[in-house]
Amino acid sequence: MPNPKTCSVHAQRPAFAVCMTCAKTLCQECATQWDGIWHCASCLGAKRAVTVKHSAAAGWISIAAATALLLYFSARLMVWTGALIAGLF
Amino acid sequence: MIRAPLSTTSVLDEATDVVALTASPWAAVLVATAIPYRLMLALFVDRLFEIGSRANEYGHFLGTTANLTIAAFVLAIFGRSVYARACRLALARGTSPGREAWRVPRVALASHLLTASLAAVMTWLTLFTLIGPAVATVISGLGAGTMELNERAAVRGAFKLVFRYAKQTAIPIALSLIFVVAFAVSFVNVASALSLITWLVTAIGGFDAPHWNLLFSGENRRYILLLLAGATVVLEPFWVAAFVVLVRKAGAEENGDDLRVWFDEVRRSEA
Repeated sequence: MPNPKTCSVHAQRPAFAVCMTCAKTLCQECATQWDGIWHCASCLGAKRAVTVKHSAAAGWISIAAATALLLYFSARLMVWTGALIAGLF
Repeated sequence: MIRAPLSTTSVLDEATDVVALTASPWAAVLVATAIPYRLMLALFVDRLFEIGSRANEYGHFLGTTANLTIAAFVLAIFGRSVYARACRLALARGTSPGREAWRVPRVALASHLLTASLAAVMTWLTLFTLIGPAVATVISGLGAGTMELNERAAVRGAFKLVFRYAKQTAIPIALSLIFVVAFAVSFVNVASALSLITWLVTAIGGFDAPHWNLLFSGENRRYILLLLAGATVVLEPFWVAAFVVLVRKAGAEENGDDLRVWFDEVRRSEA
């Protein structure tokens, strides 16, 4: 059972904050505040990995949707512009 | 392979060397994938001429041809991506690239397809203006040049890179003007090559020369369209290589690679 008054990583240092995910006590060096909430390094790393995964998926979805839309409009514009030009002659 | 400061002439000079290094087999990959797209475009225009003012009544017919053209366009962009990667590898090593040119990163391919699609939309949207298709051509070229600089799939990221390099306005404009002249030269060369082949084949017995001469004449619309498609295909390797070199040289100027190469040369000449 870790001493609630000392850091769970550095036993000789006094506790400064508690990780809101795993409830470990942390010293000033081990604690990182993100969005106003204290986290330990491993929990913050796990959160970041999830964020990166989500943003990569979102990036792929947005790029696929934008490309499909542009290709669709390209085909339609070909016909409209072509018909317009052909109508002139 | 960066040898001189960024300028239009140095870009063209180094692009010629890159094309020589990547000619076999990578330029052939580019040409093989570009031919279906160019032929489909020629077919689309031919059908428009055929239908003429009744084009409004043939929407479905034209739409099918347009959809097939776009499918061929996607294949052409794949070939262009492989060739652009081969150009970049040749630039970095100074030797002809191997099979690794096939391994185009997925992010690069997706980004290139996105920027090329935007360029295609711009071309058709501004076909009546002269400047619109020219700008679209530059965007498409920069899309090929910057595709491998994309680290992750993002719509904004791909366009940001293209516009970052488009800031070197003078060189892309100069390159476009040079390629307009080169297109005319390429057109004349392809036409002359076909005439020469027809003339040589007349020596073979049983060849109906008058019939072929009639087909290969300026009065035949399809022949002119095929010549235009052929001239574009011939020019495409130089155009892609020029934009890859432009992006590489502009990037080298930003991160100081060009100075490092220059210092190396100075040291070697002093030693």
